[in-house]
Amino acid sequence: MITVRKLKKYYGSGEDLVRALDGVDLDVAQGEFVAIVGASGSGKTTLLNMMGGLDVPTEGEVIVDGVNLSGMREEQLAVFRRKKVGFIFQEYNLVPTLTVEENILFPLDLDGTAPDQGFFREVTELLGLCERMQAYPNMLSGGLKQRVAIARALMAKPAVILADEPTGNLDSKNGQNVAGLLKMTAQVYHRTLVMITHNQELAQLADRVVCMEDGRIRT
Amino acid sequence: MIENNNLKICRRLVRREFQFHKGRSILLTAAIALVSMLCTFSFSLGFMVYDGLVYNYQIQYGSTSHMIYYGLNSTQAAAIAGHADVKKTVLLRAVGVLSDDMMEYRNVKLAAVAPRWAESTEAVPVCGRMPEHDGEIALDELTMQSLAVPRKEGAEVTLRWTSVDGSKERVDTFRLCGWWNSNMGATETCAWISQETADRLCPDTPDSVTLGVTLYRPDDLDAQAEKILRDLGMAGTVYTTNLAFNEVRMDRVNSKTVKFFWVNIAVMVCGILMVYSVIRISAGQNVRFYGRIKSLGMSPRQIRRFLSSQTAYLCLPAIPAGWIPGFVLYMVTAPYVILGAGGLGGENPALQFFSLKPFVCSGLLSWLTTWAACALPARFVGKISPVRAMAFYDGSGTRGKKRRGNHRRTGLVHLALSGFARSRGHAALAAGSLLFSLSMLCVLWTQYVSIDVEKYLEDSIYSDYVIADASAVTGLQRYNPVSCSITPEILQELENHEAVTGIGTIRTMEVPMYADEEERAGIVESFEGRNEEGIVRKEVMADSPDWLAGYEKYRETGAYIGIATGLDGLALETALEEGEYVEGFYDPERFATGKYVVASGASDVSFVSTPPVGSRVEIGGRFFEVMAGVSYRSRMLTGSDSRAAQFNVSYYMPVQTYEELFPGSGIRNVMVNIDLDRQEEFEEFLAELTGDTGIGVEMRSGHVWNFQNARFHNYIIPMFVGSVLLLIGILNFANALVTGMIVRKKELAIYESLGMSGRQIRRLFLLEGMLHGGVQIFILVPVVSVVTWFAGRWWVVHSSVSWCATWKFSLLPMWIVLPVLAGIAATVPLCCLHVIMEESVTQRLRCEQ
Repeated sequence: MITVRKLKKYYGSGEDLVRALDGVDLDVAQGEFVAIVGASGSGKTTLLNMMGGLDVPTEGEVIVDGVNLSGMREEQLAVFRRKKVGFIFQEYNLVPTLTVEENILFPLDLDGTAPDQGFFREVTELLGLCERMQAYPNMLSGGLKQRVAIARALMAKPAVILADEPTGNLDSKNGQNVAGLLKMTAQVYHRTLVMITHNQELAQLADRVVCMEDGRIRT
Repeated sequence: MIENNNLKICRRLVRREFQFHKGRSILLTAAIALVSMLCTFSFSLGFMVYDGLVYNYQIQYGSTSHMIYYGLNSTQAAAIAGHADVKKTVLLRAVGVLSDDMMEYRNVKLAAVAPRWAESTEAVPVCGRMPEHDGEIALDELTMQSLAVPRKEGAEVTLRWTSVDGSKERVDTFRLCGWWNSNMGATETCAWISQETADRLCPDTPDSVTLGVTLYRPDDLDAQAEKILRDLGMAGTVYTTNLAFNEVRMDRVNSKTVKFFWVNIAVMVCGILMVYSVIRISAGQNVRFYGRIKSLGMSPRQIRRFLSSQTAYLCLPAIPAGWIPGFVLYMVTAPYVILGAGGLGGENPALQFFSLKPFVCSGLLSWLTTWAACALPARFVGKISPVRAMAFYDGSGTRGKKRRGNHRRTGLVHLALSGFARSRGHAALAAGSLLFSLSMLCVLWTQYVSIDVEKYLEDSIYSDYVIADASAVTGLQRYNPVSCSITPEILQELENHEAVTGIGTIRTMEVPMYADEEERAGIVESFEGRNEEGIVRKEVMADSPDWLAGYEKYRETGAYIGIATGLDGLALETALEEGEYVEGFYDPERFATGKYVVASGASDVSFVSTPPVGSRVEIGGRFFEVMAGVSYRSRMLTGSDSRAAQFNVSYYMPVQTYEELFPGSGIRNVMVNIDLDRQEEFEEFLAELTGDTGIGVEMRSGHVWNFQNARFHNYIIPMFVGSVLLLIGILNFANALVTGMIVRKKELAIYESLGMSGRQIRRLFLLEGMLHGGVQIFILVPVVSVVTWFAGRWWVVHSSVSWCATWKFSLLPMWIVLPVLAGIAATVPLCCLHVIMEESVTQRLRCEQ
């Protein structure tokens, strides 16, 4: 599903050169749940961003669901993100001016695709959001915001869900719940899930744990 | 991959943005309304000046038609009228041309009434009516004044005129039935008679028609005129094209108008800055917003649509809201500008030249300005990845060397300095725009107040009032000595008025004279020689064929026109006592004997244009000795002398002597000085005295008014630009304060959570505001003063108007602006604090940075 080859991402130059990613190779199979762990600054988020087409690598290639992201135009990348990837950010990144319902359907709206009403109901019920559909993000707790972000990530039925410390801003109970939900929804809907976490307990929920250090995958 | 872009979502996002950020939206709408107002104002002025200048040239051409064909027959005229390029035509059948000597500067056609032609040439009676019966005539006022025709319906008018083909000249008498104000710019007009009269006077008039043509496209008139003639097989027909649409004139119109349109570029740049300065308050939020929606798959096309929708939401209410005050401002300013530009009076030119074009242009430019300002954050986001955009933070940190050594206490002053340092970029932008605009305004203001009306009057007029005979009101009129509109009674009343402190009369008579070889040798030698600039003196007059013809005649035969000029009182003092003597000197006692004259010529070099002192000249059968030579004071006289007298020598003599030579001749000009405290009273008296006589009055107050208008016209546009820039500078300053404070609400919450009291935070904000204000004032006062001093002084010495400038140093614009800046520095921080404090410490601690 995801193939990463000799991926490099450097920032700065000369003495200030930072090797955020320094030749990463990784394969993630269809339906697999991979947890990426590592210390701060090890390159976890950079790798995730590269896989989601949010950032451009210095070298190497990323292939997602058969699509090579290298050399894609901005417009193509936008459509790729919208159709193939569901993002879940630590900071939720909900659109503050849209309601919960509108936020969940936002990627579909961008695409002009009619939502699958049954799937929408199912997901929102599963995540416990039915009661708060007309609320705005500023009216929600952190846990609820993250649930909205998960629902949004699932709605477009993307090939891959990329989650960057989805429980980082939540207390342990909420964190466990969200992680459980993520795993469950990925299993239920057969989604490939790549999750970054600092939490070893959560990492143990994954099918495979990848550890990163200094921009490389530690074997 | 199929790219499916739903664009409707963009509109929803924009609508929500507006609902969620009402304050910012209102502020943006106000800023765009201001841009729209300024654009409407400057575009309206530009288009008005353009139309006004074209209209002025049309007036000079004497017709609103684009071209006029002469000598057509009726069939040819009908053929031209039916041509595909021709929009409309007006037709004139003249029976002759007035040929009185006094009409030599104007071409007045005697013609049967042609109402449409009359309308197109503004030759429609405003008093009385058009001729309806045999023997009636309607004239323009200048013709009446030149021919000494009284303004009275039924008055007898005797005209000398020549038939159209020039074959016969005759004199006929008519009854005046109407008249109209002359077009002072045009040399051509009509004297209307009834069809019955025309048929009677010229029963065998050839079928000769003059045709005024208006085209669909008023460009390249000569080519179009030729094309029409070619198409109709009428090549060789004589025509003239309207000077208003002549290429050179159009270039002149464009060059005079372009400055008004350039202003809009400044307005646009300033507008973008202004709108963006509002958007920038939440720049970080905007950038993160774009990053977020990009990360969720919003394509560049959708972002462009989002921007267009955002622009539309802002502009739709703001642009019309700016049109109204912009037009009102234009209405107030227009009468001053158009006078300076073209000299039209009467109706407010704002209405006279009303057009929708300025509104359309203003709307488009405001739209573009808004779009450009709104697009700036999106453009920034376009250059960075969505990841960086989402992590964007707009609080610039303090860069530079880190403090080393001992730990110092962190007090409020230190915190304020640190806060100021973080927004130093914004403060520098504000300081830059304030410096530029204030320096510009102060230099302009210094120039404005340095242009000295008294100095101008000293050099421009010789007396407070010049009263002109009705036949010598404008340069288009040849002075007619028998006009006698300034009667002895009028002169007596003037002399007796208590406000009058000095009065003098000027009488002139053209006299054929002869210079013998010896006398003319000096003058000819001088004119054939070179002046200080190395140009042959007579060539300086190359643009005056009448002068050259007169000079050649003088050189070859010695015959020339002398102008006997009788002077007394103030006029004599002005011409002789204050005149520039080039030879000899004026002796009042000998002059009063009537045996001497003072010769006056155009040149201030001895022997160039006057006979030498001691030579004898014969005027009106009497011999006079030339006592002195003075340079000619051209502005002393109104009206024109005959074409034959363009090359002349004036001979000044006492009025008594003049009257002995030319009994019954009228007064050409009366010069009057008054007690200026009684100006209003005297001008009322003058208006009553001259009434409907056609007598012209040049007033000191008129000169002052013209001067002030010209000065205003010259400075309104640069001052307007300076004011707009200043407004932007002030807004930038306020914005620097707001941005520097609002973005730190989380930081303030941290201070509060650490125990900083509300009072301390207020003091901190006030300190920071004062720091901002103080730094601006510290920079502005010395720099603006120095720039104004040097630039202003340089201008007073080197500009083309230095002759009427007196150096006056004034920093008024800066003294007005400084308290405003101080007020902003004191109030904006407190307002920001009030807004920040509306959220609790916890809410602020939770918010994004």
